[in-house]
Amino acid sequence: MASRRKPGEARLIALGVAFTMAWVGIGFRLVRVQGFEAAEHEDRGEQQRVRAEDLAAPRGTIYDRDGVELAVSIDAVTVTVNPSELKAPGALARLLAPKAGVPRSVLRERFTKPGSQFAYVARRLEASDADEIRALVEERDIAGVYFQTEAKRIYPASDLASQVVGFVRDDDMEGLEGLEVKYNDVLAGVPGQQSVERDPYGNPIPQGESFIDPAQPGADLITTIDREIEYAVERILERALAETNAISGTVVVLDVATGEVLAMATAPSFDPNAFSEADPATFRNRAVADVYEPGSTLKVVTIAAALEEGVISSRTVMRVPGVLEIGDKEYTDEGRHKTRKMSVAEIVAQSSNVGTILIQDLVGNKRHHQYLSAFGLGQVASGDLPAESAGRLENYSDWCDTTCGPSTAIGYRVDVTPLQMATVFAAIANDGIWVEPHVVREIISSDGSRERYEPTERPVISETTARTMRRLLRGVVESGTGSLAAAPSYTVGGKTGTTEKFVPGEGYSEDDRIASFIGIAPIDEPRIVVAVVLDSPHGETEDGSDLRFGGVSAAPVFAQVAEAALHRLGVPPDVR
Amino acid sequence: MATSVTPIARARSIRRAREAARAADRNSVLLLLPVITLLVVGLGAILSASSVIARINEGDQFFYFKRQVIYAVLGLGVLIVATRIPYRLYKRFAGLIFAISIAGLAATLRFGAERGGSQRWLEFGGITVQPSEFAKFAVIVFLAAALSRKEEYLGRFLHFFWPVAGSLGFTAVLLMLEPDLGTTILIAATSIAMLLASTTPLRYVFGLAGLGTMAALGSALYQPYQKARILAFLDPLADPLGYGLQPLQSLVALGTGGLFGVGLGASRARWSFLPNAHTDFIFSIIGEETGLAGSLIVVALFVVLAIVGISVARRAADTFGRLLAVGLVSWLTFQALINIGGVVVVLPITGVPLPFVSSGGSALVANMAAAGVLVNIARVSARGEGAAN
Repeated sequence: MASRRKPGEARLIALGVAFTMAWVGIGFRLVRVQGFEAAEHEDRGEQQRVRAEDLAAPRGTIYDRDGVELAVSIDAVTVTVNPSELKAPGALARLLAPKAGVPRSVLRERFTKPGSQFAYVARRLEASDADEIRALVEERDIAGVYFQTEAKRIYPASDLASQVVGFVRDDDMEGLEGLEVKYNDVLAGVPGQQSVERDPYGNPIPQGESFIDPAQPGADLITTIDREIEYAVERILERALAETNAISGTVVVLDVATGEVLAMATAPSFDPNAFSEADPATFRNRAVADVYEPGSTLKVVTIAAALEEGVISSRTVMRVPGVLEIGDKEYTDEGRHKTRKMSVAEIVAQSSNVGTILIQDLVGNKRHHQYLSAFGLGQVASGDLPAESAGRLENYSDWCDTTCGPSTAIGYRVDVTPLQMATVFAAIANDGIWVEPHVVREIISSDGSRERYEPTERPVISETTARTMRRLLRGVVESGTGSLAAAPSYTVGGKTGTTEKFVPGEGYSEDDRIASFIGIAPIDEPRIVVAVVLDSPHGETEDGSDLRFGGVSAAPVFAQVAEAALHRLGVPPDVR
Repeated sequence: MATSVTPIARARSIRRAREAARAADRNSVLLLLPVITLLVVGLGAILSASSVIARINEGDQFFYFKRQVIYAVLGLGVLIVATRIPYRLYKRFAGLIFAISIAGLAATLRFGAERGGSQRWLEFGGITVQPSEFAKFAVIVFLAAALSRKEEYLGRFLHFFWPVAGSLGFTAVLLMLEPDLGTTILIAATSIAMLLASTTPLRYVFGLAGLGTMAALGSALYQPYQKARILAFLDPLADPLGYGLQPLQSLVALGTGGLFGVGLGASRARWSFLPNAHTDFIFSIIGEETGLAGSLIVVALFVVLAIVGISVARRAADTFGRLLAVGLVSWLTFQALINIGGVVVVLPITGVPLPFVSSGGSALVANMAAAGVLVNIARVSARGEGAAN
């Protein structure tokens, strides 16, 4: 065959072999790129395509006890621009400024920042405002303006229970005050994640693989707050502040059987929708964050302890001197008197310091301290609210033998919150069973499961002692210092309290008083306890009574609140 | 030739002739198999690869696909016509063909549309053609004609030098003015393959190959963008968003395809990651969507084309046909190697399309014509006209 070869046959074959070898080389290269090194190249591709993005979890809603929204998240629209895409930044700034509510010069500055790829026009606009901007942009075919949905927290009831509900930071929806911060983790939910394959311009690739770990929406809170009672209480409290010239005031309304806080008002108040414009001092929930010396209202613990321990009975009559000198202190009663005989009822009704101290002496410091502790003093009352104070009850081992017991018996040397004191009275109203007060009634998870709060309970005094205490407290209103607490439609009982205001660093104020009234209504079949605490009321009533006294300034507030709340609860009037 | 032939010798001769005819028929079928397959593969790949850029540029995701279908129909027509034209006609008109080619290149330099920094296109009332595609054919025809005429004298330097300088040299100078280094290298390599297949002494062939390599390197280093492409080829990561972008994204696409691909129509690279995905980098998209399996099939088709092409050259009826066949098959093979070499990053990127596969009209029509001429050479040899040499 070799003889039949044409000239150059070998060269042709060589060329064919060279071509084939070149292709084999390409083949090996492909095996390497698409086989052995494929993962490395693929990874690089994924890095440039696959974007992991956070999915915001919708924040849970806060409701009142009847399902009325107190705090709710809505979708708002944030408008942004990519300045590098804008053809006429100045003109766009002029166009958008009135719609965005941002000065034109500010927008122009944002739009013309050199090298900038991102600028806000306006954050969290209402949908209708954003639609106007969208229409303008589409009409003029302006490129580089973008719209994205961002959640916005709104408080439909504005300043209603604002210190209880609190508010969140606009940027990241983190709770800052109230239930919003205390239950932040519950409300916030768990952000999800999605990974999406996107082209270099950020558009999703239809054939791309996407992975979504959906956000777990936050749980809803159903509070114990009754919107109607809360509203009434806030109006009454505001009026009382105006009439008594008090700096601030707080009212707590407790359901005695369940420990539910029906209303918790602090005045002056604020609108959480515009918290940044409000005085931060108004954010504090004074019902749980402020402490004061309870004064005479704490005498109920002294008397109840004595009755429970059997050292006195309701019929006991005491010989009460005008002055009692113990240690370096002189204890007297309001409106000095000579030594006189007083029944326990009179001691309570007239709020006799000396009589109460004598009774405390019969109980003894140790047992007295045990009752104070059992009634919840020195311990955080609910735990539902942020910045809740435990108050101050010294350890028994730190008590002195002289003035410690007597002073505590009449409500000094002890710091309490209004909620703690309301709970003390609620235990008396609830036949001696102390029930943990609370603001959150139920947590409804995003999967619909409900978790109802079960408050702790403990017997503190017997039913008999509780009933006796209520009779004594009724006497305070019927024939004692609390006559102004009488409600038109209901028989009530309670205790006045007036203490010199303790100013940290300065000592007791000459002039300022903490005036309080805490009572039970209706007194025969108790439903609610109302605690009213006013900070530094001043002046006189029309008939010349000194508004600094709880019986003058706080007791009428109690009467109005009890009347309104019981009506709302549908409790039949028991006064004809 | 046939003065005293024994019956046995005649019978043997007839049998040989029949065998040759069968082999030639087999060759024309084997030539059309890879050509048509690649054409269909290309249309499928363009449908996917061009959809994103077509929507962005033309507002119709099928724009480039539809256009390519028209080119394919046109190309098939040209192929059929080319199989019917006796290839020896090209030898007679080689001078004219070459003159037209030179005129086209000159017109391109004078009137051509500039795109991407080079002047390679001529426009005739909305239709754009690339004269360099025709120039490839013209140089091959001219060189085949010249080398076959001078077959006996090629041992002498000047007989070797003038045809080469006149065809390859002249064309190369015009191409480098556009500039179009890729096509220049392709024509040079093809010419050298043809010289190798001729009776030209090997020292001239290798001497020219050496000179050509040095000239190409010199030009590459002289042109800043060519230099950048070479540097990007050596280390794509050094300039990942500039000259390194295409090599890098091409490797990403191939790697993403892995062994069996991400599936037809599921390419990610086409989403504005890989520029020229439907033209110069169509092979990346094939590799991504069909994996190593698919890309090796495409390589195999080009191997078939090369081997059958060489076989056609071996069986060609005359020296002109043989050199023409070598030229045409070398053109298609070198162009495919340069293109895929760039795609798999074993060669710098030179901007030549993948024959039969890449989107683009002039190139496809020219490639189909080349295939048609190859088929014609195979057919002529099958009719036993070998004696006409």
